[in-house]
Amino acid sequence: MKKILLLTISAATAFAIVACSKNKPPVNPVVKEEPAAVSAEDSAAAAKAKADSLEKARLEAERLEAERLEAERARVEKLINELMSDDVYFDFDKSELTEKAKEILTQVGDILLKEPRFVIVVEGHTDARGTEDYNMTLGSKRAMKVKEFLAAYGVGNDRMETVSYGKEKPKAAGENEEAYAQNRRANFKVNIKK
Amino acid sequence: MMLSKLKLFAFAVFVACSSSFALIDTISVDVGIAVSNTMPIGLVPFEQEADFEAISSKLDEVLKRDFELSGRFSVVESPTFKMVTFVRGGAKFYVTGKLQKAEGSKVKLSCYLYATQTKDLVLGEAYKVAQKDVRAALHDFVDKVVKQLWGEFGVASTELAWVSKVDGVKQIVVADYDGYNRRQLTHDTTISMMPAWTKDNNSIIYVSFRNGKAQLFERELYTSKERRLFPNKSQTFSPAVNPKTGEVLFAAIHGNTTTVYLGDPNSGANHKVMYGRASQVSPSWSPFGTEILYTSDRGGSPQIFVMGKDGSDARRVTFMGNYNERASWSPQGDRIVYTSMDGGKMNIYTCAIDGSDIVQLTSNAGNNEHPTWSPDGMLIAFSSDRSGSHQIYIMRKDGTNVTRITNSGDNTAPTWSWYSPERQKQISIQNEGW
Repeated sequence: MKKILLLTISAATAFAIVACSKNKPPVNPVVKEEPAAVSAEDSAAAAKAKADSLEKARLEAERLEAERLEAERARVEKLINELMSDDVYFDFDKSELTEKAKEILTQVGDILLKEPRFVIVVEGHTDARGTEDYNMTLGSKRAMKVKEFLAAYGVGNDRMETVSYGKEKPKAAGENEEAYAQNRRANFKVNIKK
Repeated sequence: MMLSKLKLFAFAVFVACSSSFALIDTISVDVGIAVSNTMPIGLVPFEQEADFEAISSKLDEVLKRDFELSGRFSVVESPTFKMVTFVRGGAKFYVTGKLQKAEGSKVKLSCYLYATQTKDLVLGEAYKVAQKDVRAALHDFVDKVVKQLWGEFGVASTELAWVSKVDGVKQIVVADYDGYNRRQLTHDTTISMMPAWTKDNNSIIYVSFRNGKAQLFERELYTSKERRLFPNKSQTFSPAVNPKTGEVLFAAIHGNTTTVYLGDPNSGANHKVMYGRASQVSPSWSPFGTEILYTSDRGGSPQIFVMGKDGSDARRVTFMGNYNERASWSPQGDRIVYTSMDGGKMNIYTCAIDGSDIVQLTSNAGNNEHPTWSPDGMLIAFSSDRSGSHQIYIMRKDGTNVTRITNSGDNTAPTWSWYSPERQKQISIQNEGW
């Protein structure tokens, strides 16, 4: 998901640059042909200097815009990475949010309030113990609890979708409490609203 | 084991004495003890023309395995007919046969059931089949022997569907009930799970994550035609097919809870069976499709409940332990099998419909789960990680005679097919009659 997003963003940036460079050729020929039409040498030189400085300013603006886009991209990427690493953990067979979970969710909520274009999928997961069927309901309850908390925090319900994976997508392998604890979680997928 | 037999017997007596128990749609009271009292049957190796060594060397093994898996027979082997061996082994009947060349690449398989004392022919069957179908023909003969000697249908020609990991991804596979003739049904890059047979045994209903969430699909076995079921619900799983009407019970995540729905897979129409704030999951039909077993966490932990098909008269079945799940009603209607978690380990139990007479079928052998009844109610297939990896096993309904039917990979969640006479015709067995 992250890769796709990155690609989309870099593709958008690339397109912006290409679009700018496409505008360039029509400008230059006109400027170059002008001196030939006007025979006075000094007016030609002045026009050239003026054109040069215009060109420089334009390039500078372009550079600044690219830098701004790059910074924006980096900022968004950082936020998305932050959201995607903000896993919320649960106790065995429980869907209640722990204090630690609530702390993480307030950070998530802050980001979502700051970036109204972000829409998220909350995925609920369980550890490997128990049946596939019951764990589907447990994963769904966990995702739902997270959604409810964020909704109460002010994030619009239409920006959040919940999905249960039950025990099917463990983060950590192994049949020990350490792995189980890692897998009893809810995590986030982020998309950018168009 | 002695204790559980006693309990079973006590239950039978209890049922026989209590007339108020008639609220369940069907009860055929097994005397319980009969399960472990198998019928000895003699087996003499098949005569064969030399050409067929490749197949014929396995003929007796196939029969022996079928008889022993059936939960009805114990095999008394003898290289030739020996009255003394059979009589001493208690085998009142014995089976033998021969394999001959037929036209083309086909073979003629003749199977006989004789009475030991009189040497009377009790049953004879001849099959003209392709060599690859010899196994199916032998299964058919075993079922005819069961019918002859027990007056009941056997399960040797039934099938199992289960979940197998292929390159790390859970896929649905289908095989003969004994684990042979395995075919992979799904080839997705996303998880497939929870297979259930449609009433006609022609399709598998299962859960696919191809759209990023759990959703029910139905796939035809012979055409691979596929469609999504109940698309008006976004997340659906735990399918259970009504053996009489083909209606499907399933769990759907809707709003804040998971609830059991009842739907018609053809029209897509579906409705909530019972309203309530607690989660409901893992529905299962009674043999005649009038009542529903399900799991609810309304007491704080998953426990098994039963209710009418219309959602009426819900009552709790399990009270022991704090994790009882995935109940399945026996085809005879008298007991349920379910999975219970204790100390982090899953094990299989059966109990009466009122929750009494609990018998633990598996213990001290890893995790044991996903029990599914054979259509004759004699056997339970399940998955276990006792060997270090998840494999499919079959046991008798009293927990004895555990036999592994898969050997490698990761195999879980078996679901037994229904009886299906139409299906048997498709195996292209030309029964010549006798």
